Amino acid sequence: MSTKNNRIFAPEGGRYPFKVSDEYFDNLTARIMEQIDSVEQEVPEKAEEVPARSAQLFSIHKNRRRNLWISTMSIAASLVLIATIALKFIPMPSSTPVEQQKAETTAMYTPDNYNEDLMNYTMVDNVDVYYYLAAEDFEE
Amino acid sequence: MSKRHSNASEMAKIDEQDILKRIQDPQSRRRAFEEIVSVYSRQLYWKIHYVVQNHDDTDDVLQNTFIKAWKGLENFKGDSAIFTWLYRIAYNESLTFLKQRKQMTSIDDEDFVEQASFVADEYFDGDNTQELLMQAVSTLPAKQRQVFCMKYFEDKKYEEISELVGTSVGALKASYHIAVEKITNFIKSKE
Repeated sequence: MSTKNNRIFAPEGGRYPFKVSDEYFDNLTARIMEQIDSVEQEVPEKAEEVPARSAQLFSIHKNRRRNLWISTMSIAASLVLIATIALKFIPMPSSTPVEQQKAETTAMYTPDNYNEDLMNYTMVDNVDVYYYLAAEDFEE
Repeated sequence: MSKRHSNASEMAKIDEQDILKRIQDPQSRRRAFEEIVSVYSRQLYWKIHYVVQNHDDTDDVLQNTFIKAWKGLENFKGDSAIFTWLYRIAYNESLTFLKQRKQMTSIDDEDFVEQASFVADEYFDGDNTQELLMQAVSTLPAKQRQVFCMKYFEDKKYEEISELVGTSVGALKASYHIAVEKITNFIKSKE
């Protein structure tokens, strides 16, 4: 074993080669107790805050829910009222507008009406029609 | 800190049964805990110092230890001695601190072995040989470092260390033997 090893592992053992002033140890207990007091003060404050906040939040949620529920109910009631009034006072047509339009279109385009419209459009009269028919006979 | 000084300070003991009773009573709890701090803080300081090897860090870990002890005071039913309970909290706090320090240094090399330098430490009170010894000790794993320091510097019996750290006497003897071997090799390599 080397000289240093001999010295380190001598039978009398060793001295821990660090020192701390006695002043440090004298003040240590007071300092630690101060720390503990400050930790203790933090804990109750937090404990008080949490229920207060949660209670506040809960009350906000409760109010919001109640308001939402009232609004929904009043809107639904208004709709029902409007619908009832509308059914009572607005006269309902016998047939639907689509059916009515279809009937009008059908009436408008009977064969006679169609021919008259066609003649007006082409600016021919009955004489012209007879003329063309007679001309066709001659050509045959 | 001399070898005998440590044992002398541990002579200062308190009536544990009395302290336990006072801890249960909220009225006397704070005063009882203050007594615990007063009696055991010095011993705990050195136990933590063996692991973290720096005054400021030891001070931080010691404060955290007592704060944790205070918070867990209601759960302490006296199943072990008060000092054993405090020591285990302190040891766990020291390990947590070491892990944090390792993360902060963020050394990529996995084979890197932490080797402290004590030259600039104003609390170091030794010569070159003692500095070399402490450098060698700093390379040991935390638990081995604890066992070595308690045996070497405090001359504690294996049975006492076993009660404190919760490891069998046989395992402690083996641990100490390995630590001595590592330290010897470290010193040889530096000569």
